[in-house]
Amino acid sequence: MIRDITIGQYYPSDSPIHHLDPRVKLFATLLYIIGLFLSKSLIVFAVAGVVLIACIVISKVPFRYMIKGLKPVWILLVFICIVNVFFGKGEVLYFQWKFIHIYREGILQALMRVVRLVELILGSSLMTYTTTPTELTDGLEKAFHPLTKIHVPVHEITLMMSITLRFIPILIEELDRIMKAQTARGVDFEAGNVFQKVKRTGRILMPLFASAVGRAGDLALAMEARCYQAGRPRTKMYPLRYARADGVVYVLAIVYLAGMIVLKVMVG
Amino acid sequence: MIRAEQVRFQYKKRDVDGNVIATEEILKGVDLTIKKGEFIALLGRNGSGKTTFSKQLNAILRPSEGMVTVDEMGTRDAEKLYDIRQHVGMVFQNPDNQMVAANVEEEVAFGPENLGMESDTIVARVKQALEQVRMWKRRKTAPNHLSGGQKQRIAIAGILAMHPDYIVLDEPTAMLDPKGRKEVMEALQRLNQEQEMTVILITHDMEEAALASRVILLADGQVRFDGTPEDFFGEDALLAEMGMEAPLSYRVQQAMGSAANLQSGAGEKRDKCKIDALDIFEKDKDLLSLQHVSYIYSPGTAYEKVALDDVNLSLGKGEIVGLAGHTGSGKSTMIQLLNGLLKPTSGTVTFEGKDIHAKGYSGNYLRSKVGMVFQYPEHQMICDTVWEDVAFGPSKQGLTGEACETRVEEALRFVDLPEKYYQASPLQLSGGQKRRVAIAGVLAMHPEYIILDEPAAGLDAAGKREIFDRIRRMSREQGIGVLLVSHSMEDLAEYADRIIVLDDGKKILDDRPAQVFAKRETLADCGLDVPETVKLADKLRANGYQIPQNVIREKELLDYLGNCTNSTAGRKSVDTENRLDERKQGDNL
Repeated sequence: MIRDITIGQYYPSDSPIHHLDPRVKLFATLLYIIGLFLSKSLIVFAVAGVVLIACIVISKVPFRYMIKGLKPVWILLVFICIVNVFFGKGEVLYFQWKFIHIYREGILQALMRVVRLVELILGSSLMTYTTTPTELTDGLEKAFHPLTKIHVPVHEITLMMSITLRFIPILIEELDRIMKAQTARGVDFEAGNVFQKVKRTGRILMPLFASAVGRAGDLALAMEARCYQAGRPRTKMYPLRYARADGVVYVLAIVYLAGMIVLKVMVG
Repeated sequence: MIRAEQVRFQYKKRDVDGNVIATEEILKGVDLTIKKGEFIALLGRNGSGKTTFSKQLNAILRPSEGMVTVDEMGTRDAEKLYDIRQHVGMVFQNPDNQMVAANVEEEVAFGPENLGMESDTIVARVKQALEQVRMWKRRKTAPNHLSGGQKQRIAIAGILAMHPDYIVLDEPTAMLDPKGRKEVMEALQRLNQEQEMTVILITHDMEEAALASRVILLADGQVRFDGTPEDFFGEDALLAEMGMEAPLSYRVQQAMGSAANLQSGAGEKRDKCKIDALDIFEKDKDLLSLQHVSYIYSPGTAYEKVALDDVNLSLGKGEIVGLAGHTGSGKSTMIQLLNGLLKPTSGTVTFEGKDIHAKGYSGNYLRSKVGMVFQYPEHQMICDTVWEDVAFGPSKQGLTGEACETRVEEALRFVDLPEKYYQASPLQLSGGQKRRVAIAGVLAMHPEYIILDEPAAGLDAAGKREIFDRIRRMSREQGIGVLLVSHSMEDLAEYADRIIVLDDGKKILDDRPAQVFAKRETLADCGLDVPETVKLADKLRANGYQIPQNVIREKELLDYLGNCTNSTAGRKSVDTENRLDERKQGDNL
């Protein structure tokens, strides 16, 4: 069902990670990702995996929730495996049948790519699970604030992000209603060739666009009526303020990356 | 005090180069003074300029000529812009389209944040505003987990947090169910009476207008009436011209004024009502039916929800069945099951005695025989012109050429759509016209049964009556069975031959309207109200009038009271007077 798509997968809990400043979490996630791309060694990935699991345990987000985040990329992971295992070239041949050659290097390559991707996805979803969309946009706004000096409208961009997040469920619901309404009139969304399918998509998108444009106009009016003006200084109900734990995590994140670099130099 | 002096306003249409190609004058000299503490109902037909006028009050728009001043600040003074917007708050119709933030408290904080207030001040103001609309407990909730009424209360709180003196609301209840309406209206009355907040309410609903201290009617860009609601409701000719109707309580009082004997003629009327209802009830057949149908959303997941629980139902031809239930009771699931849009988790749905989910049963056949008109007719518009759109159904049925054209013409004639719109785009039509096209699109398929979801939503009294009369004609003349889904118990009382009440996925009642409305406690348990007519009849009974229980339609009640002779002239309608008195007292507070 189209309505079951969920965006903004915040998992409410009362863990130390939930309480961290979003800027710290963004920074730490960034360093974690850099760490993953430093090396191709499985030892490095193992270390990253241990750190990741420790973080997940601290965050109190259940593992099955974390695994759910992998669902959309399941096919991609399988695809990576197939391509690397069956078509990877190497020296140590394990298996041969007609045009299929399976090399040791291919298997290792597949394992490396899959583990890296899984760790990448789990790491970044840990951040979204422990940070509300509002915190996230606030964090981004603050983190990129220096860019306003070179006339990048940072606040406007982050506001756009948060409004988009707010309207996605509304528009998905509307899309569902439109599809039902047209089905009831005898439009069959399954049948037909590509051209007919494209034409039908147009019929759904037109009312959806018309409505989205109307909603945007309404929203702009409502914001204006509440004294919003782009570029005018605003304040925050809950301004971001660093606590001691945030400082500690900054240090830990840097130590982690430094450790990863050392590890890379050692194992290659 | 807000003062409008000779306010004129033109919309300018420009071509691509920015040259003005046409001007349309919306406001043609409006003179008004609004004092602090008033509760104003701003009325007018669509296109009368009431929304345009309301936008003048907080400088969203500025007059082309004349001037608007808010507490001595002119709206054209650019320096005062934010002061004015802070003093005059605005709430709009669609609760979804005016929310910016991801949760309730941040939503309310948006205004104060824009004004650059300190964090502590914002927190205090948000708390105060949410307490005023009684939503403090929900402060961490995301907007999409709130009901429509709650969302509108949050929108009001968002304005209150800016500490305004005036609050302008543009049809804030138009998209809400009766419970939501009540919540919003109660919040507004409380603010007006306890905080002396000036309320300017744009509305189509006369029951809401009756709660105001002053009614202002705009027509064709000018003030046409300005006075108390009582005086306004007395202007029969004006109301008729505007397609409006005085609230029932007022009309009842009028009927009582020409007081007559309540006893005489009663027996005759009662019998007539009975025959009418019985006659229809006998027609019931098993055209479309549900047998032990249950429906569960997302079974086996954390979001599992039983939407329908072992429901049996049979619907027949030539009968108008009303489907009632509060939001979330399973109404929309049920209609989607009847149309084959959803497949039941257990149980069977049959049409003409056949299981519609049996192997080889044609979904297209079912949908051409069981038509459905949705709440938002624009969603079911498929083609570029009205004519093509109505022809879509018949051509899917394999009709071509003349046969198809006849169907289309017949259907468009029946819904009375003027011929000049035949080649127009359906999306350009007005709300009422779109609904007519949607109905025509379904009728052109010659269905046996039609399901209508809130067919009168967003229409004024005249438009509503028109569409319902047409539906009744359709049912009576062509024998089409109708399932009418509505929030409005008044509409169901007026037009349904039989009413089904759903609550929490279960069928609670299925009976003739008079019988359903007699079960007041059951209805209250389902979160439903009885129609205004029944409430008034109850009050009259409490005052000693003997009104039969089966009087549930407006006309029946009014005729009944109108037939009275002077033998009971001493007993005037105490209750309706009380109602008006209460209102006056409210004003004095």
